[in-house]
Amino acid sequence: MNLIYLVPLFPLLGFLINGLFRKSLSKSLIGIIGSGAILASFIVSIILFNDVRTNGSMIVSYFNLLDIEAFKIPFAFQIDQLSVIFLLIITGIGFLIHVYSTAYMNDETNEHFGRYFSYLNLFVFSMLLLVMGANYVIMFIGWEGVGLCSYLLIGFWFKNNTYNYAAKKAFVMNRIGDLGFLLAVFWILAKLGTVNYGEVFASTVKFSASDITGITLLLFVGACGKSAQIPLYTWLPDAMAGPTPVSALIHAATMVTAGIYMIARSNVLYTMAPFTQTVVAIIGLATALFAATIALKQNDIKKVLAYSTVSQLGYMFLGLGAGAYTGAVFHVMTHAFFKALLFLGAGSVIHAMHHEQDIRNMGGLKKHLPITHISFLLACLAISGVPPFSGFFSKDEILAAAYLKNPIFYYLGAIGALMTAFYMFRLYALTFLGKFRGTEEQHHHLHESPSAMTIPLIVLAILSVVGGFIGIPEIFAPDAHMLEKFLHPIFAQSDSIKELHHLDRSTEWMMMGGVSVLIIVVIIIAWRKYSRTEQFVASHGIARTLENKWYVDELYDNVIVRPVTGLGSVLKNVVEKAGIDGAVNGVGRFVHYSSRQLRLLQSGQVGNYILFMVLSIVVLFLVFWNQPQIAHFLEKIF
Amino acid sequence: MSITVVLFWFLTALALLSAIMVLLSKNPVHSVLWLIVVFFAISGHYILLNAQFLAIVNLIVYAGAIMVLFLFVIMLMNLNAETEPQKNTWLKLAGAISGGSLLLILVSVIRSATDMTGRTAQVGEGNIGLISNLGKALFSEYVVPFEISSVLFLSAMVGAVVIGKKD
Amino acid sequence: MNAIILSAILGVIMMFSGIWVNNKATLRWIALAGLLVLLISNIAEMYGYRIWNVNVHNMLYFDRFGLLFNSVAIGSTFIFVALSGSDINRVGKYAAEYYTLIFFVLTGITIISVYTSLLMLFLGIEIMSIPLYILTGSDKRNLKSNEASLKYFLMGAFSTGLMLMGITLIYGATGSFSIEVLNNPAIAQGVSFLEITGMLFLLVSMAFKVSAAPFHFWTPDVYDGAPGVFTSFMATVVKAAAFIAFVKLFDARMSYSSAVVDWKMLLCILIIATLLIGNITAVFQQSVKRMLAYSSIAQAGFMLFAVFSMNEMAKEGIIFYAVSYSLATIGVFAVLLKMKDFTFEGYNGLAKSQPVLAFANTVFLLSLAGIPLTAGFFAKYFMLASVIQTGHYLWMVIVAVLFAAVSVYYYFRVIQAMYFKTGEGETENIHPGFKTGLIILTVIIILLGVAPNLIINFLYF
Repeated sequence: MNLIYLVPLFPLLGFLINGLFRKSLSKSLIGIIGSGAILASFIVSIILFNDVRTNGSMIVSYFNLLDIEAFKIPFAFQIDQLSVIFLLIITGIGFLIHVYSTAYMNDETNEHFGRYFSYLNLFVFSMLLLVMGANYVIMFIGWEGVGLCSYLLIGFWFKNNTYNYAAKKAFVMNRIGDLGFLLAVFWILAKLGTVNYGEVFASTVKFSASDITGITLLLFVGACGKSAQIPLYTWLPDAMAGPTPVSALIHAATMVTAGIYMIARSNVLYTMAPFTQTVVAIIGLATALFAATIALKQNDIKKVLAYSTVSQLGYMFLGLGAGAYTGAVFHVMTHAFFKALLFLGAGSVIHAMHHEQDIRNMGGLKKHLPITHISFLLACLAISGVPPFSGFFSKDEILAAAYLKNPIFYYLGAIGALMTAFYMFRLYALTFLGKFRGTEEQHHHLHESPSAMTIPLIVLAILSVVGGFIGIPEIFAPDAHMLEKFLHPIFAQSDSIKELHHLDRSTEWMMMGGVSVLIIVVIIIAWRKYSRTEQFVASHGIARTLENKWYVDELYDNVIVRPVTGLGSVLKNVVEKAGIDGAVNGVGRFVHYSSRQLRLLQSGQVGNYILFMVLSIVVLFLVFWNQPQIAHFLEKIF
Repeated sequence: MSITVVLFWFLTALALLSAIMVLLSKNPVHSVLWLIVVFFAISGHYILLNAQFLAIVNLIVYAGAIMVLFLFVIMLMNLNAETEPQKNTWLKLAGAISGGSLLLILVSVIRSATDMTGRTAQVGEGNIGLISNLGKALFSEYVVPFEISSVLFLSAMVGAVVIGKKD
Repeated sequence: MNAIILSAILGVIMMFSGIWVNNKATLRWIALAGLLVLLISNIAEMYGYRIWNVNVHNMLYFDRFGLLFNSVAIGSTFIFVALSGSDINRVGKYAAEYYTLIFFVLTGITIISVYTSLLMLFLGIEIMSIPLYILTGSDKRNLKSNEASLKYFLMGAFSTGLMLMGITLIYGATGSFSIEVLNNPAIAQGVSFLEITGMLFLLVSMAFKVSAAPFHFWTPDVYDGAPGVFTSFMATVVKAAAFIAFVKLFDARMSYSSAVVDWKMLLCILIIATLLIGNITAVFQQSVKRMLAYSSIAQAGFMLFAVFSMNEMAKEGIIFYAVSYSLATIGVFAVLLKMKDFTFEGYNGLAKSQPVLAFANTVFLLSLAGIPLTAGFFAKYFMLASVIQTGHYLWMVIVAVLFAAVSVYYYFRVIQAMYFKTGEGETENIHPGFKTGLIILTVIIILLGVAPNLIINFLYF
């Protein structure tokens, strides 16, 4: 299909036009170009989706990035079941976020508005490149592009220094992960001489067991950076420094899902490396629980959502580690719906509250923001995993797979799901229920957001409710898991490697029913507790630790950042200044000095010159006629 | 000792002595006159080598024309013993030593060339230095350099005009 | 032969056009046309078309190497006149005579690039040198110019004396002026001390001509004192020609005498001394013109590697070095001549006032420093690679690279002044044609820096 190149081309054009002409274009035109580019990509993606459904996957190669004898890296796109799903998520949700942004960012000046949309388009472009590439190198190009754009967008309001710090933090954390990814790519290249997915997965026999484990672990390090897993997760909560729609884009449609995509894409390798799978599952589960505990005590509306993202990503990795690749991709999809909705809803609230983000100063917004309220409630139900909302299906699939891997994973995962329900409804209740706790002026100005913001909310709310029905488990209706059937070609190779277990029907019913009931109980507790809260007391003990995010930032600061900067200053002051600078400057000074001395030879007197020349002739003649002796002498010395 | 050998040593001694006097004379006019003596001694050598034409040309061109020119210049600029610039004694000494060592090295090198017999260009005999033979050689075998040297002289003349002409 | 005779005739034509043509700009056009004719006739000879068939009695041999260098020298002179012609016209009243002398210099150059007889070498060197003494002193009202001219003449005479002494000794030992090995009857009997002493004298006088240390003393004074345009000419075309003569001499002579004696140690001393004095002294200079004089000594140190390693690569390399060095230096001087102030401070802020000049100058300086993507990089590369090809003397390469690093310092000082310092960057009036010329030169240098074979291939077709 020759339409493929159009998908990334539209955002690229949008980026160029908005970036270059941001000063001359009007805001509405910028908005139309920015959103239109993504819409066009979305339409092409739908066409591609239909194409893939009927004709299967395809690889289109355009030119060679590198072409050195037998070693070739083509610039090629691979459109198959996996990438087309991601294309739809990225462009579809990306489009809604763009539309939302036209209203949300309307206060910015023309120039910044244009800059914002050009970054946004570049972000989508990089992400498309990442998922469309037919080899690891193109994926890496997109990977880096995404990192760059996140830096640009998180630090969008660059006049605020903390925001710049947050942007820098995101970039550095990502770079640590990127290093792992890059090493893995080199490793593959060294072993196979190719990085094309098809060829790599077809020739896995050439890898030794340790190769596979090493490569997959390194790839996982890359995924940890991008998808915010322990220990590289701290950038994501800080990334909310950017405009709220950017957070929605980063947390829902793009960026953080890159790690999931990469592992799902490399599923063959991971299935062959059981050790790595266990590591992935443990890290994922730990992240899920850890982030959930932090989210329990956060008071910033976006921070709660950010930690919930980290937690949900942990579930996805748990799924990947348990071998439930379909489940992980499924959860990426449903999570994209409801997390985008939550962030956009939060953006709507923040918009209404005039950039107030502390939920302790909100409350009772139900009356004033009806559409936001309803959609937010639906999203909370979805993320909590209440049947039959979308989150229920995807989370259930992951938990079921976890049970197969190890029942302990399942129990811990279920506890995490309960915590999710609790903190989401704490957030919901504090924001929308009870009495308004803000200032009089804020109360006066409360208003529902414009339709450019509410329409995306409504669309996403519908998707959050019904999105789960493409993956109905077998116990409800046989052969109803459309997603699994669709993705089957991608994971077929993995499925053939591992032995397939199936849960008992009764066990599955038990688990599903038990967890669902518990979740509903937790929701009711949270609802009752926080809809009446009027006063907030300073927390202490474990609550305070949670409020301070387990002091992980401080820990990193003391254990890593300070020693490194300390070492840096030692290197700078002692090694660099005294050692290297001293040596370099010393050489420079010596050259200068000898230059001044040699210059004196040039006296300007012809007599002197001739004298020097005659002396030189004498020396040259002497040297010439005594060469053997001199050579012998030199040999003795050296 | 044949008369040629006696003449050779005499002319050699004369040439060396006059050359030294050129350097030592305080008065520039004396230097030029000593230089003329050097040229005469060299011309004598040429005659001993059976190169009469060269000897005569050397006398006419160098001792005659060029030296007279030198004298004119010196007199026009009114140079004499008083205007002679005083050279640093150390410089003079250094010059003498370095020049002397160069001489020493050259002499020792050429003396060590003991295998020269029969291999050097035969200069003591033959009639190549005679005017007719020289003319034939010049206009047959060496005609190209002979003609090309005209460019050299032309450029020197152009240069002289450029430098000498009043602006 | 075409170029030798034509350049002499063209010199005479220029001389007479001085009588009939009063407009200096017209003279420049005539000179350019003459150079073009000369270039075409020389290239024609490369392809085998000869206007005159002269029996040269084995004193000249028109091989590809010499003829290619002739083309390079004439081409460089053409570019030089095209860029700096207006500056030649400003030196003094006798523009026609200056062009005449330049043509005569070219006669000398064409002779010394094809000679096979020491007699022709001597004549060529003299034909080349005498007009230069005059050109050095052509700014008659300037005492520095007069002084430089006289110094150059005195020391040039000294070196000519050494050269004649050397030729005499060689003739005395072998009875022949020929540098050709095969035609030399004395070879069969081995090499004598007398001949080697003669070669030593020739070595010294050639080292003087290419301004290799410790025989470089004339260079800074003369280059600094001479009118800038003629410095440009002397430092580029003439110096490169002297190198070709040097290479030819030692290519023929050294190859057979090296069985008996080893020249490498002497050349080592010369090269190291030249690199040391050229590079180190250039660091301290305040005037760009004088810095360029020392830099030309330093560049000579690099070119001496061709004489040192003396293999095919060295011969290819010296031609390429001649091209890249000449073009870049002509460019740097062309810009220098447009400056009001020749010190480093004079360049301050040139990038603001004359961006084209500053950019072109940067490329020229980068080429001189040997930065990749410019012709200068490959020039240095060829020289060092030829040394490595000999199999020994790796330490010489390391030393050379270290000195090349030093050279970056003083070249970049100019770039730094142009781009990073604030100032007026005052220049004379710049003609648009001059800028075009500079850009063409820049393109050539970058082109050669990407595809050096454009020149080298001419050696073999």
